[in-house]
Amino acid sequence: MKPIPATVAGLCLTVAVSAAEVRLPGKRDLLGLPPVPVPADNPLTLEKAVLGKKLFEDRRFSADGTISCAHCHRPELAFQDGLPVSEGIGGRKGTRNAPTVINAAYYTTQFWDGRRPTLEAQSKDPFVNPIEHGLKSHDPIVGVVRSDPAYRQAFERAFGVKPAQITIDHVARAIASFERTVVAGDSPFDRYLYGGDKNALSPAAVRGLAVFRGKGRCVSCHVIEASTALFTDNDFHNLGVGFDRIADRLPEIIAAFRKAKAAGKPVDEAVLSQQELSELGRFAVTGEVSDLGKFKTSTLRNIALTAPYMHDGSLKTLEEVVDFYDRGGFDNPMLDGGIRPLGLTAQEKADLVAFLKSLTSSRFATTGR
Amino acid sequence: MKRRQFLKGMGLAGLGATLPFSLVEISFGMGTKPAEHESFTFAYISDSHLTHLGGTRFTRNFDQGLRKAVMEVNLMEPKPDFVVYGGDLAQLGKREELDHGLELLSALRPPIKWVIGEHDFYLDMGRYWEDKISPLHYSFDHKGVHFVVLNSILTYEDWIARWPTAEERMANMARLDNPHGSPFLVGEAQLRWLQEDLAKYDANVPVVVLSHSPLYKIFKPWNFWTDDAERVQKLLQRFHRVTVLHGHVHQVLYNQIGNITFYAMMATAWPWPYPVSYVQKPNQVPKLTVFMNRADPFHERDGTGWDILDLDSGAITNHYQLWLNENRTVAFDFKLKHPVDLKYQDPDKRIPPQFHY
Amino acid sequence: MKRIPVWLMLAALAVPAPGDEFTEEDLKRWKAEYMKVMERGEKLFHSPLGSNNVSCDQCHPNGANTHPETYPKFQKQLGKVATLREMINWCLQNPLEGKPLGLDSDEMIALEAYIHWERRGVPLAPGKH
Repeated sequence: MKPIPATVAGLCLTVAVSAAEVRLPGKRDLLGLPPVPVPADNPLTLEKAVLGKKLFEDRRFSADGTISCAHCHRPELAFQDGLPVSEGIGGRKGTRNAPTVINAAYYTTQFWDGRRPTLEAQSKDPFVNPIEHGLKSHDPIVGVVRSDPAYRQAFERAFGVKPAQITIDHVARAIASFERTVVAGDSPFDRYLYGGDKNALSPAAVRGLAVFRGKGRCVSCHVIEASTALFTDNDFHNLGVGFDRIADRLPEIIAAFRKAKAAGKPVDEAVLSQQELSELGRFAVTGEVSDLGKFKTSTLRNIALTAPYMHDGSLKTLEEVVDFYDRGGFDNPMLDGGIRPLGLTAQEKADLVAFLKSLTSSRFATTGR
Repeated sequence: MKRRQFLKGMGLAGLGATLPFSLVEISFGMGTKPAEHESFTFAYISDSHLTHLGGTRFTRNFDQGLRKAVMEVNLMEPKPDFVVYGGDLAQLGKREELDHGLELLSALRPPIKWVIGEHDFYLDMGRYWEDKISPLHYSFDHKGVHFVVLNSILTYEDWIARWPTAEERMANMARLDNPHGSPFLVGEAQLRWLQEDLAKYDANVPVVVLSHSPLYKIFKPWNFWTDDAERVQKLLQRFHRVTVLHGHVHQVLYNQIGNITFYAMMATAWPWPYPVSYVQKPNQVPKLTVFMNRADPFHERDGTGWDILDLDSGAITNHYQLWLNENRTVAFDFKLKHPVDLKYQDPDKRIPPQFHY
Repeated sequence: MKRIPVWLMLAALAVPAPGDEFTEEDLKRWKAEYMKVMERGEKLFHSPLGSNNVSCDQCHPNGANTHPETYPKFQKQLGKVATLREMINWCLQNPLEGKPLGLDSDEMIALEAYIHWERRGVPLAPGKH
């Protein structure tokens, strides 16, 4: 595992990670965001969220007792791990970059390929992925929460269930509830566009916003609207990142994927264990050939805190990302129709980066590098 | 041969030509599936409008559409028996454009059947196409189905003669909303050829006509039209199952006229609006059609795509491969005797993006 | 009420009818002026205005699907409430891979004149997607 840089370690000491950190999103937090979507079958309560955080950080939910959700989604690192691809149990390397939990509640699907429809459903997969937590089933987790006295009490308070009634779905609902509190708008951009503070953005960032909406063409996928901005269209696009790994051998790779699926291997396992299968993108979920190489549009909120970028973490800095789009992505027959060379000037690129840096929410500004 | 498959069990076959049309419908079951039929699948790529900019440069947008279609057809499982190229491979009929198109299509694994479009034809009156690509009209049989390919984009001689240069002639046919345009024609020569060609076939043989322009009248201002369409329809009238597949309109469109089912094929290049969106002129857009979703111009492939056609049901089912949209399946309904969209035909099932104005 | 000074009353009687009394001739002439600009717009609309030989009429024959009666409206591609002219510029820069026109330039006004003319008679529907 990568050694933690001293600066980050220092931050870990100053940012108190305690139950007091969990709070239901307030009005200020949500400047620039719509209300947090909450499913009818899992109303959001503080009890559930506090319990969810505890579960999120519990390392017992792994085959060797070292991995918790927080291992890849580190609260002190803007809820991601700063690595190109994540490393799970025994340092096993996956194929994909860990997305931040911040504002994940606003996605209509979870994972880079949208293979799970909700935060609840997503939370259960990593526990039983051999590359992540490495458990063979959810039973050990259920065993822990049913026997640990603190958990027994917390589950009763949160869900009104007796220990014998606790299931993995309660665990999932609690974790999802915690994640629904890890939301924030209220960045300099939000204060400028929605809060009426014309001084909130630097002149460079103001110019960058114009590029974002204009020549940069970013806004069509990284959505900004009149009173809120999700910075995602909740859709899937092929930018060509990593596509060259599979482009020449698509028929064989697709056949291999279909074979694994027919043999009962979960998509979750297949895509994280094999680089080539990972590059199939959304195709692995829909089976539609026109979805080859498509990945979910990430929100850009707090993007300055969540390097490296793209589903395989192959772009290290925001400057590299801007250059990548300026060149028109990586050309391939399945390249998204919205991606093309932009002809940005050096000034426009720098301004765009300045704008992206203004998307850091004040709530999470002290996390990350 | 395959004809026998259809004559078997259809003892009244010989009467088909003489009975009034409605009786033919009932006794030979236009509403029922043919007794024996081998199903097969074929793909349809159309309207790529490759545009030459100079040197080796082409408009990137339209190149991308064709490249994507070729890659997807090659990944089809099961593999199609053949691919139809529906016309308008080039934008201005230039050799550079046609050659570029041939190069991109050379990657296609299944064999190609070619249909010419007006954008391919009017620069040199189809000479390069005929020399290098394909005859302009022809027919072939495949697994018991008789396919006829028509050059339906001819037009009146006096309009052709009007233009001082080939480029002007091409440009005036290329402009869709041209007030100085001229309606498409199949023409006398082809009508005679068609009559002779069809005479060899029994009324029970399924007939599929491939043409670029629609062989019925939708909207004259944009040449969604063939002037002698009724004469073609008349020649097809005696057959029990006729399907016309056409391009040119760059949109989801389907209709039923008598015994003929019409399906429009998608364009890989760009979507056209529906004629209902031009309010200054009346239109005859078939009421049957459930419109495709309105396209977002940011996403260049929105509103474009290609088609997969199969005969599993006994009639042609059109699986519209709509990039960036949910695919649509339009199939022949044997009870209603016309095509229906399998998901959206019921007016209560329509969704907002299907509303064009 | 204040008394109107005599000199003003006399002045009003002495001056000929003010310029707002336009005639049928004026109407014809002004309409013709508009139609000239509209025709220029039609030519522009049917020419490649960008760098890739694409012209507006290729996606918008007779200006169809431009929906001028719905502007200003929230324009998804611009991320804000925008006017027709801004959308025209978006099209020039994106599908046509070209340069934007000045919002008040003659060409822009001509294009707008043509687009509106082809959509004449359709009631206003501002904000409609």
